[in-house]
Amino acid sequence: MIKAAEHLDHESGNGHGQAPEVHPVRVRILRQDVAGGESYWERYEVPHEPNMNVISVLQKIAALARTRDGRRVAPVAWDCSCLEEVCGSCTMLINGRTRMACSALVDKLLAEDPVEIEIRPMSKFPVVRDLVVDRRRLFRSLERVKAWVPVDDSYDHGPGPRISPEQQQDAYPLAECISCGCCLEACPQFTKIELSRGDAESEADFEARRRQAFDANFVGPHAISQAMLFNAHPTGGMIADERLEALTSKGGIQMCGNAQNCVAVCPKRIPLTRSIARAGRAATVWAIKKLFDR
Amino acid sequence: MPGVVAAGPPPILPKVSACDGDRRVPTAACSTPRKPPVSESSFLERNQFLIYRLFSLSGLIPVGAFLVVHLLTNASVLGGAASFQSRVDMIHSLGPLLVPVEVAFIFLPLAFHAAVGFLIVANGLPNVGSYPYVGNVRYTLQRVTGMIAAAFIVWHVLQLHWLGTPVGGGQFDPHYASSSAAVAIRPLWVTALYAVGVLSVVFHFANGLWTLGITWGIWTSPAAMRRANAVSVVVGLVLAAAGLGALGGLRTLDVDQARATERWMEEQREQRLPPSGETSTVQPTSTTGKGE
Ligand code: HEM
Ligand code: SF4
Ligand code: SF4
Ligand code: FES
Repeated sequence: MIKAAEHLDHESGNGHGQAPEVHPVRVRILRQDVAGGESYWERYEVPHEPNMNVISVLQKIAALARTRDGRRVAPVAWDCSCLEEVCGSCTMLINGRTRMACSALVDKLLAEDPVEIEIRPMSKFPVVRDLVVDRRRLFRSLERVKAWVPVDDSYDHGPGPRISPEQQQDAYPLAECISCGCCLEACPQFTKIELSRGDAESEADFEARRRQAFDANFVGPHAISQAMLFNAHPTGGMIADERLEALTSKGGIQMCGNAQNCVAVCPKRIPLTRSIARAGRAATVWAIKKLFDR
Repeated sequence: MPGVVAAGPPPILPKVSACDGDRRVPTAACSTPRKPPVSESSFLERNQFLIYRLFSLSGLIPVGAFLVVHLLTNASVLGGAASFQSRVDMIHSLGPLLVPVEVAFIFLPLAFHAAVGFLIVANGLPNVGSYPYVGNVRYTLQRVTGMIAAAFIVWHVLQLHWLGTPVGGGQFDPHYASSSAAVAIRPLWVTALYAVGVLSVVFHFANGLWTLGITWGIWTSPAAMRRANAVSVVVGLVLAAAGLGALGGLRTLDVDQARATERWMEEQREQRLPPSGETSTVQPTSTTGKGE
């Protein structure tokens, strides 16, 4: 507690000059004003404070709204919410690697590159503005594999089936997914889809076209893993076949090229490659079953 | 996120109906079909999973199996010209069946694997620069070695197989197996290209063996993947040794002596004596055909 208090004291930096001389933090951010627009770099500088993370740097930049050379600019836009690596909304490319801005500590980043911290929006999703991206496809993938337990009525069905502690242990890590999209960003087989609405196209037709584009391409490791999570669940498993059908349709599990980047970058350390291999096995069995049970 | 059921994305309402949440988009299972606002999918798209699995399988059987037999056969040149010749004779004892067998079990599956392989390469977006993990390096090498393999195999077939005769290749003579191959690879740059080609193909196959096990779900846990990886490494090392061994064997071959052995073996065949095995035991001159 005393330590924390000291920290606070130190952090408030009210001019008593004892704090060791630290260089200000230099940041370069890839900005973009509108969806589909040109992107451009801007450089900023904020005072260094202990235990800073990238979100606190972005907050200071927003408050400053000035570049390093003193030009007044619109504040940088970004997404964040929980600030504790749970909501999954603050994914960015920080020093070239996909990670959660809220848990990316400035001192560690400066150890990687002492000159400057580089921040870019995710490259696999369309930019909405600055660091804000449109991750609709990530959620559409979860819909494609029906990543839920199908109980859609208000009747009392009694207690559900029991789940053994072993099953729970196996499933829990998969349930920790925060839908951050880091795995998709790092996956060499998952590539960006960015469409724009045609002049004569209605909003509904555009939405349908976008959805078809999503559905024709790789679902991604997060969705494969969620499909395995819900297939292993006694009630969720009731529609296991529908999930396998989705995983073996276009853009399904076959798109994975086994680079295993997904598992390496997942902030929740979800055993994605185990899920992928399990899905591969289930898909093998499913395809054979389909062939002979028809 | 406590509890198992609670996982997954909160914004999605569970639906038991066959229709998807968004009613504007008709799905195949939806009971009220509407004119799709977008294009229908093609045959290839509908069978993508099957095609990719056949691609994966073709890498092992028959293409990979052929590769193993091919490299081990070639390595028999280390046992001397006669030993290699007798194996080549065995293959060529298929006579007129050899061409259809080659086409059906080697050329067509390889062409299929290569075609889908190039498609996969074209659709991927390698990123080892940003994510230099071992798995990612292997992913990238798998693609690079696949493309090297394609170029190498085309060149190799034209250079040695009779199919290449019209373009000045076709240098391999099945009756003079070791000597004709030794002459063909003798220039240092040719041997060097062969070494690169063989090592690329071997890496591609050994690494492919490991990924194939994940693709089909043969090894699923990280520990099982590590064990399978060890096996793949051993397979790769053995095949690399066999491939490079054959090159070394050809380079150190005494071509004149090998040719004498091969001519003698051919005469034996023409006298309709039992080929291969038994002939070598009654052979008058050196059976090795190797230099001193
Ligand atoms: C000697 C010939 C070849 C053999 C024995 C061979 C074998 C294999 C094997 C066993 C796999 C693993 C499949 C899997 O992970 O499920 C594979 C994958 C692959 N092969 Fe080949 N292959 C050969 C030639 C080629 C050629 C000419 C290409 C053309 C570019 C190619 C491109 C690929 C690619 C891109 C993959 C990775 C697929 C993925 O992981 O998504 N291969 N190969
Ligand atoms: S293992 Fe598959 S899903 Fe994961 S990063 Fe590699 S290609 Fe993508
Ligand atoms: S699997 Fe991991 S990296 Fe992928 S979305 Fe979930 S938490 Fe993020
Ligand atoms: S703000 Fe929620 S994960 Fe970073």
